[in-house]
Amino acid sequence: MAAALARRLNPLRGPRIGTKLMLLSLTLLVVPWFSYRQLLEMERLLVQGQSQAQLLTAEGISTLFNGREDLFNDLPVTIEDYESLFAHPLEGNIRLDGRYDDWGERIEDRLLSFGPAASDDGAFQLLLGERAGQLHLFVQASDADIVYRDPEYLRLDNADHVRLSYIGSDGEDGRIGLVFAEPGVITAYAMDADWRFATTGTAEADVLGFVEVGESGWSMEFRLPLDRLGSRRYFGVSIADVDDPVARAPLKLAQTLPKAGKESFNLIVLRSPEVLNIIQGLGYSGARILVVDAQQRVRAEAGTQLAEAAGPSRDKSTALGLIQRGFEAIRPVLHRFSTFESLEAERGGGSAEYTAADIISATLAGRPAATRHRLGNQLEVIMAAHPIVSKDAVIGTVVVEQNIDDILSFQREALEQVILLSVAALTAVFAALLTFAGRLAWRIRQLRREASAAIDQHGRLRASALRSEIGSGDEIGDLARSFSNTLSKLHQHNHFLENMPRTLRHEINNPLNTLSTSLQNLAEESPGVQSSKYLASAKNGVIRIGSIVQNLSDAANLEESLKSEELEVVDIQKLLESYVANCAASHPECEFAFRGLREPAHAEVSDYRIEQLLDKIIDNAIDFHRTGSPITVQLDVQRDYLRITVANRGPILPDQLGKSVFDSMVSNRGPHNRLHFGLGLYVVRIIAEHHGGFVRALNLADNSGVAIMVQLPRTEVPEPRTEVPEPRLATDPEIEIRASAAPPARAAQAN
Amino acid sequence: MAKRIAIVEDDPDQRANYRDAITKKGYEVVAYGSRREALERMDGNLPDLVILDIILGDEVDAGFQLCRELLFKSPSLPVIFLTERINEIDKISGLRLGAWDYLPKPISLDYLAERISSLLRINEVRAENAERGSSTARKIGYLTLDQDALLVSWKGERIDLSGTEFRMLAKLVRVPGHAVSYETLMNATMQSLVTNNTINTHMRNIRKKFERLDANFACIKSEYGFGYRWLPP
Repeated sequence: MAAALARRLNPLRGPRIGTKLMLLSLTLLVVPWFSYRQLLEMERLLVQGQSQAQLLTAEGISTLFNGREDLFNDLPVTIEDYESLFAHPLEGNIRLDGRYDDWGERIEDRLLSFGPAASDDGAFQLLLGERAGQLHLFVQASDADIVYRDPEYLRLDNADHVRLSYIGSDGEDGRIGLVFAEPGVITAYAMDADWRFATTGTAEADVLGFVEVGESGWSMEFRLPLDRLGSRRYFGVSIADVDDPVARAPLKLAQTLPKAGKESFNLIVLRSPEVLNIIQGLGYSGARILVVDAQQRVRAEAGTQLAEAAGPSRDKSTALGLIQRGFEAIRPVLHRFSTFESLEAERGGGSAEYTAADIISATLAGRPAATRHRLGNQLEVIMAAHPIVSKDAVIGTVVVEQNIDDILSFQREALEQVILLSVAALTAVFAALLTFAGRLAWRIRQLRREASAAIDQHGRLRASALRSEIGSGDEIGDLARSFSNTLSKLHQHNHFLENMPRTLRHEINNPLNTLSTSLQNLAEESPGVQSSKYLASAKNGVIRIGSIVQNLSDAANLEESLKSEELEVVDIQKLLESYVANCAASHPECEFAFRGLREPAHAEVSDYRIEQLLDKIIDNAIDFHRTGSPITVQLDVQRDYLRITVANRGPILPDQLGKSVFDSMVSNRGPHNRLHFGLGLYVVRIIAEHHGGFVRALNLADNSGVAIMVQLPRTEVPEPRTEVPEPRLATDPEIEIRASAAPPARAAQAN
Repeated sequence: MAKRIAIVEDDPDQRANYRDAITKKGYEVVAYGSRREALERMDGNLPDLVILDIILGDEVDAGFQLCRELLFKSPSLPVIFLTERINEIDKISGLRLGAWDYLPKPISLDYLAERISSLLRINEVRAENAERGSSTARKIGYLTLDQDALLVSWKGERIDLSGTEFRMLAKLVRVPGHAVSYETLMNATMQSLVTNNTINTHMRNIRKKFERLDANFACIKSEYGFGYRWLPP
């Protein structure tokens, strides 16, 4: 019972070998994980190396400036006292056309606002640039009512105009008024101290400009030589706004000039050409070098401008592009799995300006520093800075900025390779494991099938050795050999057991014969013994031993002798009828009832084996029947089978004996019946199975007794030729159909 | 002159018992323990009847071999197998070799003596018949039964039956058409351990011997659960 349950649960007991191997092979996923960790580490190392290199570069460059404060001191040291105006270095030719669109990209972000709130009259925006020794200015003024200069007036301050104030190279105050009589070219005059009249009658020829008038005001672009400003470049811009064309009184004056507490001039801050010259030769590919002074003003810049989206552009439609996009998609997942933190956190969200400012102030405090940060979406840079020292004071810093695109693209390619290789390896390993597991499972199944086929349902050995896997060198082969070995030992043992009755008979019969003949001779020799009861009981004993041995060996030889038996078609109905009648005659103490059929029921059998089978069943029934109750013998015809049922009232079968009752040496008769070996029903089973049928023992439905049921394959026989065939209509149509098809059990029995 | 009986039996006790019992019946007995000894001693001095065990010492088929060799020398020599090898196959091969009877152990010595005398008599009768050309046969339909010579013929053709088979057949045809019980047939075998199976086997063998001559032979009929019946055709 428990074994059956276990067998039913068996498929659920655990995963199959294949599944187990598959699960185990999942540990291979550690390979890409590990590779990714290694890649990250490598990236860190490379970045570190590069930042070290950049730091060294910065240090090297900074040594060029060490002690050269003269390069930086052309600006007032206390720059805080001044409102500085930064002049952007301009590239390319600049047309003076009143527009700044040729000043460079995104220059409009650098517009400085002055005066009242934006877009009110008198407010203006200012942009400074520097190119080839010229200071370029762009002024955009908001003015609802533009008043042009009237040439009739000598005074210059009665129209909208721009005032430039500076300290010239000679140390004198300089004043220049920029006036315009119409949109277009402007005129510049050196002005008197009250900004009323020109000091000279001629315009300043080296100050050129252009004004353009729009709806909300005007914009002016002009330039003047930087030489005019001297080395200190104190400078200021004011806008004088005149709104009444009749009164022409200057209404408002908006200026860049500092608020109270500051010096009265702005400073024009430029890059230092000398510094630029020094670092120009140092710039290398992909790097940008900045020299910043102690006031955090960029004094020189060299090298490539770092561009956005430095990543290699790939054709997104190709397979490679697809793969790359795939990697882009899985990278964050992979990263999260590998490092348990998000990729964004790893990349750092800090803004470039912030870190750059941090770096610069850190170096200006005297410490070299390096950092890695992102510019925009794709670009990552390393910024290294080293202070420039002069007389124990920091006078500036050198910033070397280089993108790490090489490292990142290397990393990306390595990652792609790792993932590709991992996928390929995993696929290959999976396939190999699948094949291996399949083969293994197949071999084991094969072995199991053969092993379980080696023993039939009655526990008899069918094979003395296994054939599959015997030659294999591995553990399965060992198992097969071991099992085969066990089988052959078992076979030997079984052989010994099977031969036991024969050997026993041989061994017993000889001494028994000696005993028997000696007894006879003894009786012959001394006539007085002849009548002795002891002699009689000795002879009885001899006969009993003989019959026991005979029965045992008969049962043991039964299967063998059945094989030599010839089968013939017998009418079981007739056989049973006659048999039961004879039984009733030979067992007058029992009552027999026979329920047969009306028509013959044929089966291909060995008739006296069937008789022997019936003998055993009837013996059994007689032994167990309740005195006075009839023993019923019944014959039924089923589709392909004949069923003989012998039922008797009496003790029922215990449950556990239900199936084993037909096994050899199983008896339910109890210890008092010593002559029984439980061979009777065993003989019944062997005979029934030999005829291609089977036998069952059941308790009657009302538990009043036991029925033994034997089923034998049925055979259809054609009507005997000697008899007159019955009319077709009278025959059972079902039988007609059956006659045409050979019963399957018969076919199995033919060999 | 006393008939000379040769016994070949490897077990000394049994050999002595046979010898004593048969000697008492007035025969001259020679007993041998092995095939080699028997063959050497009987060479040129054949007995009137030979009783053989099949297994002699280590030779498991020595009896069969000896039987073959003796019958080669004297085809009419009566040979009885007296053995514990009672398998069908052994019995058949023994009788096929030309043995007159095949008796299983344990044996009743009286019965053995009777068999000996009967076989010797049969041998004599056969020899006489061969000389005179007459017989004491009894005819039942196509069947001719010569009790003395132990000869059976069916439709004029001779059928070789063993002694046991002959006696069973004789019992069966005593009252044709009348069923003969297993018990009666068992008595006819005159053996001590006989089961229904033994009877069935004998009957089948007899039937087969008839069928070999006459494919339509159907005179021996089973009375299932009781015995057999001879149905005259």
